[in-house]
Amino acid sequence: MAISDKDFELLRDFIYNICGMYFHSTKKYFLESRLTRRMEAAGAKTHQDYYMLLKSPRGSEELKYLMDEITTNETYFFRNVPQLNAFENKLLPEIVEIKNKMGFRKLRIWSAASSSGEEAYTMAMILQEKRATLLKDWIIEIVGTDINETVVAQAKEGVYNAYSVRNIPDVYKRKYIKEEGGKFILSPEVKRFVTFNKLNLYDDSKMIFMKSFDFIFCANVLIYFDTASKSKVVQHFYNNLQPYGYFFVGQSESLHGVNDKFKTVHFPGGFGYKK
Amino acid sequence: MDQNQMMERAEQLVGKIDDLPTIPVVATQVLQLLDSPDVVIEDVADLMLTDQVMTARVMKMINSPVYRPSHEITSLKRALVYLGLRHIREVALTTSFIKAFEAGTGPFDVNLFWEHSFGVGMVSKIIAQKVGYADLEKAYIAGIIHDLGEVFISHYMPDEFARVLAHMEQHQLKLYDSEAEVLGTTHCEIGLCMARSWNFPEAYQEVILQHHTVDAATIDPILCAVVNLSDLFCSVRGLNYGDREWVSFNLQEEQAWQILKHHAPALATMDVERFCYELDDAVPDVQELVRSIFSSTEQAEH
Repeated sequence: MAISDKDFELLRDFIYNICGMYFHSTKKYFLESRLTRRMEAAGAKTHQDYYMLLKSPRGSEELKYLMDEITTNETYFFRNVPQLNAFENKLLPEIVEIKNKMGFRKLRIWSAASSSGEEAYTMAMILQEKRATLLKDWIIEIVGTDINETVVAQAKEGVYNAYSVRNIPDVYKRKYIKEEGGKFILSPEVKRFVTFNKLNLYDDSKMIFMKSFDFIFCANVLIYFDTASKSKVVQHFYNNLQPYGYFFVGQSESLHGVNDKFKTVHFPGGFGYKK
Repeated sequence: MDQNQMMERAEQLVGKIDDLPTIPVVATQVLQLLDSPDVVIEDVADLMLTDQVMTARVMKMINSPVYRPSHEITSLKRALVYLGLRHIREVALTTSFIKAFEAGTGPFDVNLFWEHSFGVGMVSKIIAQKVGYADLEKAYIAGIIHDLGEVFISHYMPDEFARVLAHMEQHQLKLYDSEAEVLGTTHCEIGLCMARSWNFPEAYQEVILQHHTVDAATIDPILCAVVNLSDLFCSVRGLNYGDREWVSFNLQEEQAWQILKHHAPALATMDVERFCYELDDAVPDVQELVRSIFSSTEQAEH
């Protein structure tokens, strides 16, 4: 069902205010098609009806279904290009310089909602490329965590489909991906930096042991949390970072009003949060 | 480098150019007419209609998504009524700048230049509104003209400008710093020389000179700060001369942000993330506006 500009803005504001995820105008038709499915399932005849349903006491449950529709199948390698450019070209060299001065040649990165591992391995590829130059003689540790054991097992296996690997630049693909019978297998060279574990971000007793990270990435998970839980989890991330570290959320996500300690650092096409 | 030295150098460079573009006669007359106390819209419309290119551009600008009229406006007089007298000034000035530099060649793509300029104009207007700045049109114009010096460098000194860009990329500098190192002056001082020769009001001259050095502003520091921040936002959200320059900033460390927060404390709670996302949404509108303004010239002239 075609969505009017007014209804689009209404639903966009609702989703932004509750989840902290912004729907750009270019995503209007995507949202429209996902809404159509949910409206059918929920028996809402118009976008207005569906909006009223989201606002009703049953709304929080329906919102979860909607968010699932909006975010499924979204994970792939080299997903957030502006963020990766900033990481690789500016923020990583900045942290390396700080740690070189301290004589502390160890880099720790956390992919805090690692799903099947694409984000963590993307980092591993970028860092492996710098083993002969910027990161010569450095120890690299990348940790991926997810609440779902099935995806953690998949991540450990490191075997992907064509969709996942479609955005990997050729220079990386040639070196680190081997195709076998339609499957794309990750090279041990990049797998060796990365470990995967099950972790629930709500679990305070575990969260306090995730220490001394230089970069933390957490895309498309906080959007499922209510504000209080978001604040708590983000405070953990803040504590888990080195004093000069950076925290990143996904494209179109916002932490406005969630944490006032992080400083927002803008760069072309995105922003990150600096401790 | 001392700003006086950079000013002297700019005066030398601009002084060498004999054929500095002039603002069209009609535009100058329109501006004069707008200054008279008993001006009526009909007279302005009649005068503007004598310049077909200007008329076509005003119509394009009015019907662009940046202005968002509720339905298409097809007569110039209705367009001017919709704009109101103060806005006519902004449109007349804007169309004049475009006229002055439409033949622009050199390392900068003139469309990218105008996309940045109109983007900064639009964002300046929004930020001006957020901080309760009284004259939103002034903020809009100031945003549009802040980088005039840049188009001068690209147009009249293409070889030097190519060196500036290469130096910037090689040493990962800001454009402003690269200009100072290579040319001994920057687009700010050069822009000021042009603004003086065109008799721009002082507040605009100051924005052109101090939009990278807002703490030096004395005439209208709020306006300079508004344009400085708009410039930063546009530079990280796709209206940045085609990604040549690496711009990164943290608002808390920006002098302009401190000036504006002092002026309007409520700014501290602004949802900057959402502001950036909304700006992304406006980028195609700005690009469309620039495209339509330039294509209107072709239609009117051929």
